[in-house]
Amino acid sequence: MTEPVSELLMFQVGARVFASTVRDVVRIGNVAAAGSDGLIEGTSLGPTFARERGIVVAAPEGGVESTLVVDQVLGVRSVPESEIQPLPAFAAAVIRSGAVSGLVLFDEAPTLIVDLPTLVRERLAAALASPSPA
Amino acid sequence: MSQARPFPAAPPAGASNAGQDAWFFCLRILGGRYAFEASLVTEVVRLGPLTRLPAAPSFLPGVFTHRGEVLPVLDIGQMVGQGAIAIRASTRAAVVHCGPWKVAVISDGLEGLVVIPRRNLEASPAESTGMAEFLSGVARDKNGTIAVLDLPRLVEAARSRAVPFGSGGT
Repeated sequence: MTEPVSELLMFQVGARVFASTVRDVVRIGNVAAAGSDGLIEGTSLGPTFARERGIVVAAPEGGVESTLVVDQVLGVRSVPESEIQPLPAFAAAVIRSGAVSGLVLFDEAPTLIVDLPTLVRERLAAALASPSPA
Repeated sequence: MSQARPFPAAPPAGASNAGQDAWFFCLRILGGRYAFEASLVTEVVRLGPLTRLPAAPSFLPGVFTHRGEVLPVLDIGQMVGQGAIAIRASTRAAVVHCGPWKVAVISDGLEGLVVIPRRNLEASPAESTGMAEFLSGVARDKNGTIAVLDLPRLVEAARSRAVPFGSGGT
């Protein structure tokens, strides 16, 4: 019997590598070719360096797609679902974001699995709460 | 005026000569000697590479993996507003269970187990700032003074003071 696997999109923001489930991703785009509308930057994942790639995230309930600006898209990895761990309880209780859905170990290093729709939603909510000065 | 808090009367689990000696786990934090009930500690581990978490409070510098288990790191110095504990390749952590929470407490150095005769334990002054807020007593051994922490209370305070997801912040 084959163990269920999750397809994870690996991407880089700054010096750090993150993962997200492929089903949250509509497509990978070029930030330069995209308009500024719908670009999501300055998330809790940290600052970007190169801003080369955009991960297009579906909007819930028929809303507008958003493009998360990242530095690199590294590819897709298949991971047995048994290797995906939840955040440790204490960490889950104290972080101010719901955008980390779990962890997977690659070469013994915990890699965060990011819930992209939640990340985008939190960034948009933060932007509404504290709009940048004109 | 300071008031004294009573030192916990119950001996720690696993104590020998219960009632005469108290067993503590001692570590150094930002120049001071601190200890907490030894029975809270399950093991001492070398800190692996840290993975930082987005939107984490300063007292949670990250998580690391130990034997396939992901452990959150607790920086007590940051928790009490006394500054960050430097994390180096040689940094070790005490893995502790405090109620439902399992955390790896980092320090500037681990002394390990110390046994303190209960007659050498004194109540701590009742102050409400910094580390003093979480002291349950003061002990003395041949190496000097040890401030005894109520670690479960400190961990619970860390949890409750963090702004939880959905209550604000980004």
